[in-house]
Amino acid sequence: MGVTILTQFPTENRTGPQTIDVLSKRISALGASQQGQFLVDCETYTSAPQLGHQRIVHVLHNSEQPATVFSILESGTKTIPLATDGLFDLLMMKMSSFYTSKKQTKAESKGPRFEIGDFCVKLGTVTISSNFKGILVEVEYRPCVVPVMCWDLMKEFLQGFLGLSGPTNPPAYLQNRMQEIYSPLDTVHQYLEHFTMFRKMPGGVGMRP
Amino acid sequence: MERDLAQLNVALNSVKVLRSNVRSVFESVGNGLRADHGDDGKENKYIIELQELLTTVNNNLRDVENAVASLTPPPGAFSLGNTTYLAQETTQERQALYGQLVNSYKWTDKIREYSALAGNILQTNSFNKTYKTLSTTKRRKTQTSNHNVSPEVIENLITGIDRLFPDVTITTNRPFVPNPVVQASLGRVLKSIIGFKGLMIEWVVVKAHAEASDQWSDSRYKVFQKVTENCHAAMCHFHSPMMPDLAVRSFMHWFHSYNTLFSAPCKRCGNHIHNNLPATWRDLRTLEPYHEECK
Ligand SMILES: [Zn+2]
Repeated sequence: MGVTILTQFPTENRTGPQTIDVLSKRISALGASQQGQFLVDCETYTSAPQLGHQRIVHVLHNSEQPATVFSILESGTKTIPLATDGLFDLLMMKMSSFYTSKKQTKAESKGPRFEIGDFCVKLGTVTISSNFKGILVEVEYRPCVVPVMCWDLMKEFLQGFLGLSGPTNPPAYLQNRMQEIYSPLDTVHQYLEHFTMFRKMPGGVGMRP
Repeated sequence: MERDLAQLNVALNSVKVLRSNVRSVFESVGNGLRADHGDDGKENKYIIELQELLTTVNNNLRDVENAVASLTPPPGAFSLGNTTYLAQETTQERQALYGQLVNSYKWTDKIREYSALAGNILQTNSFNKTYKTLSTTKRRKTQTSNHNVSPEVIENLITGIDRLFPDVTITTNRPFVPNPVVQASLGRVLKSIIGFKGLMIEWVVVKAHAEASDQWSDSRYKVFQKVTENCHAAMCHFHSPMMPDLAVRSFMHWFHSYNTLFSAPCKRCGNHIHNNLPATWRDLRTLEPYHEECK
């Protein structure tokens, strides 16, 4: 697992599928080959009032780590990440009386997955409870595990095919962790960050499905 | 020598011809009168035939004598060394040994000749481009053998290198004593598995930290495959049979410059990426980073 950068790509006046199509053509023109599809999803649960002090659990799946369930517990100022096996989903079902999922919050990013050299590029269409919200581009540089070492290189790569829409700074979540060894949980955190932003967006303004 | 051999061959050939013709004479004498001599004057015909055969033998004999006269006799008895005892071998299957012995002698002779030629050519086209110059006093300390070095010497060399670069971590294991296989980790960037043959580097593989530490499989990442290739080039470049420890140290010095593999842009084009790879080449002298295509 290498360093991964997640960035939003503006759709401007294109539809979601048109944007994915434009980006697919660009990355293919650079020599990438499509290697299947990917999916990242997120469900958010809130603790029942009788548990007192409210806690929020985000449960995420990433098709890149199909046997793992990632969960992030937010309680007050603390966030506790957890990587578990698939049984965690069943556990959450058992606890449905304590933790209930908010309605209309199921977030997903899915789309084509490309490989180009040592890079892995994923073009995700983001939907929240099936409503189109935007485009997330994920780029992973697999040989490198420390963000600070390859950030400039990845920025150059991203700007190479996203143009001016490419990021100029590391994702907010990574900024304090540039020196640390990158782990799959870091990718999950970045997705959660974007999903949270999409959820706060007023429904579908300026976004055509 | 060449002429002597030719003459010897001529002489042997004429002996062969003589023997074959003498045999015809005896055959003719042994058979006596034959049906193909006919009835009329068969004795005469027979005598003429015999005379012709004897004349041929006479001529052949003269040829042999001429050929032998032109040979120069060897100065003394041949000394065959221990091989003379082979002649006393009585068992059937071992009598063929002499032939094999001569064959292997010819081979070693050829090897000597070719290696002498190769040595001459290599001396005039020196490919030793190690940039460090040593004082003459140090130069005298050459090792007599680089293949068969005591493990302590290699151990010292490796620990010396380990101390030289703080961000290189070296771990050694010896599957085949005394040739160690060294794993050199370069910070959090990469690791390399280096196989030694005595004091000389014989094999290098570069991989990601997460990959298996065996010598035999390549990295699955293009960037490390490219760096492995470049390490092989550098390994040959720094190779110096006369100063193997210097070669290893120069190689490690160069290898250490890969600690900026992902972070340093290419010196020529200023970019990080070319063909989806970072600058995978390091100049052998200046250690500056270059793309494969920009060096
Ligand atoms: Zn370049």
